Amino acid sequence: MSSEIAFTFDGAPMTAADGQSIAGALIGSGIMSWRRTRFDDQPRGVFCGIGACFDCLVTVNDEPNVRACLAQVCEGDRVMRQEGTGYGA
Amino acid sequence: MARECDIAVIGAGAAGVAATVVAARSGCRVTLVDTGERPGGQYYRGADMSSLPASGLSYAALAGDLDRLIAAGAVDYRPRTTAYALERESEHLVVRTRGDDRHRDDVDVMSAGTVILASGAFDRPLPFPGWTLPGVMTGGGAQSLVKGQGVLPGRRVVVAGTGPFLLAVAATLLEHGADVAAVVEANDPVVGSLRQMRGLTAGLGKTGDLTRFVTALARHRVPYLRRHRIVEAVGDDRVTGVRIARVDAEWHPIPGTERVIECDAVSVGFGFVAQLDLAAQVGARIVPGADGGLAVHVDDDQVTSVPGLLAAGEATGIGGVDAARVEGLVAGAAAARRSERGSALSASALDGARRDVARWRRFAASLHATFPVRTGWVDSVREDTLVCRCEEVPVSRVREAVALGARDARTVKLLSRAGMGWCQGRMCAAAVDGLCGFDDISSLQGASYRPVAVPVPLGALAAEAVEG
Repeated sequence: MSSEIAFTFDGAPMTAADGQSIAGALIGSGIMSWRRTRFDDQPRGVFCGIGACFDCLVTVNDEPNVRACLAQVCEGDRVMRQEGTGYGA
Repeated sequence: MARECDIAVIGAGAAGVAATVVAARSGCRVTLVDTGERPGGQYYRGADMSSLPASGLSYAALAGDLDRLIAAGAVDYRPRTTAYALERESEHLVVRTRGDDRHRDDVDVMSAGTVILASGAFDRPLPFPGWTLPGVMTGGGAQSLVKGQGVLPGRRVVVAGTGPFLLAVAATLLEHGADVAAVVEANDPVVGSLRQMRGLTAGLGKTGDLTRFVTALARHRVPYLRRHRIVEAVGDDRVTGVRIARVDAEWHPIPGTERVIECDAVSVGFGFVAQLDLAAQVGARIVPGADGGLAVHVDDDQVTSVPGLLAAGEATGIGGVDAARVEGLVAGAAAARRSERGSALSASALDGARRDVARWRRFAASLHATFPVRTGWVDSVREDTLVCRCEEVPVSRVREAVALGARDARTVKLLSRAGMGWCQGRMCAAAVDGLCGFDDISSLQGASYRPVAVPVPLGALAAEAVEG
């Protein structure tokens, strides 16, 4: 983890360490939640941290339901908070 | 056409790495499939082992050997790849894989004479009010952030649940500069440990680890609150504190002992659950493990009830990283023999590994006896506490299903949707059984059957079928 990777979160410029996961980069910036649930509209972030619980789902480059704890940040990624299923209402 | 190999190893943690190295050194063509970015699994997390003493069959030595075998083309290593299905086809086992979440359409099929399942485990969570708040995460989640990502889950963390892993997580957090407000252990391991002393001394290496963790806690003056349990996480959009209570031996809270500890992150865990999806799909015999969870049954050669399927590590029962490594050695040697190749592991090394398996298994059994999950946790849930995080199913709906006649977790799932979401019940199966009082192992088994281990796009499957 040496060079910095540039990406955006909800349009705001962010940086991640090379090899860092989306969850690692967001939590490193103090952001603990990036999804709201389908039914109760509740905030969620990392829970299991190893890809088993699917709670940390996020939308990356218009692709919803990416596990933020596993997916590495790539240069130029557009990461968006995910609302519900991620496919709109 | 399905690609062919002698041996497919599923999972590149300690067990999978050991099995791969032994099998490849024995001359087998091995394909190693792993979800992670680098070998090492949840314990080693791709750590650079080159500075550690790489003696004999230590993990450092095996990891170094694996790197050389991959570089030499002797092991077909596939990181960021998840095996989602396993089936038997005449004399072969067929493994179906998928790429990571950014390459979900990259499906593949391989055919192997032998498959070694080394798929590891994940934390066993139990619900309590507020457990879905951001900032509340499993012990494995906290470890993955600190060790894997170099970030802290919070500045002031409460570590809670049961088991020696709480101490490991607390020590990791302290080493990386977090303030650990308390370690909240629902059992009473001092009394328990004394009873289990014989088992503990059988695993000296781990006792050394425990001493190191306890020393770290003492140095930072972290309270180790035994016979205490989280009864609620509080906060609005993220966790700001936990309510804890003293509990009796069955984990029922003792009235008048509640208090709040302020924190900005919580790490919880009540032991681990083995990843058995592929074993269940192919019909391997599954039995209760020493911790009351499910485990794949294996013989002294790590062979399951399914011809050609071997298993090593947490899949055969939660036993820790050292048990996983030595089981991997035994499995690698057995797989080489099945492929009619002489094992690279000498007869005496194999005997030694088998003895170590037995020794670590005794040690694991004594830990499970010291850190059981007791039923009193159910006292703390409320009717509106979510059981299933994915489908947002509260306790009330699970109880309604029981009132309607459900007598096993699978029926509860069909009536309430608990366990029907993205995680396929991984996070709630144990909780549903505890909540409903289903202590029959077949209930847990029914809830843990997953024909497809991770979601696969239908389009990818259709394209594969057309291309044949």
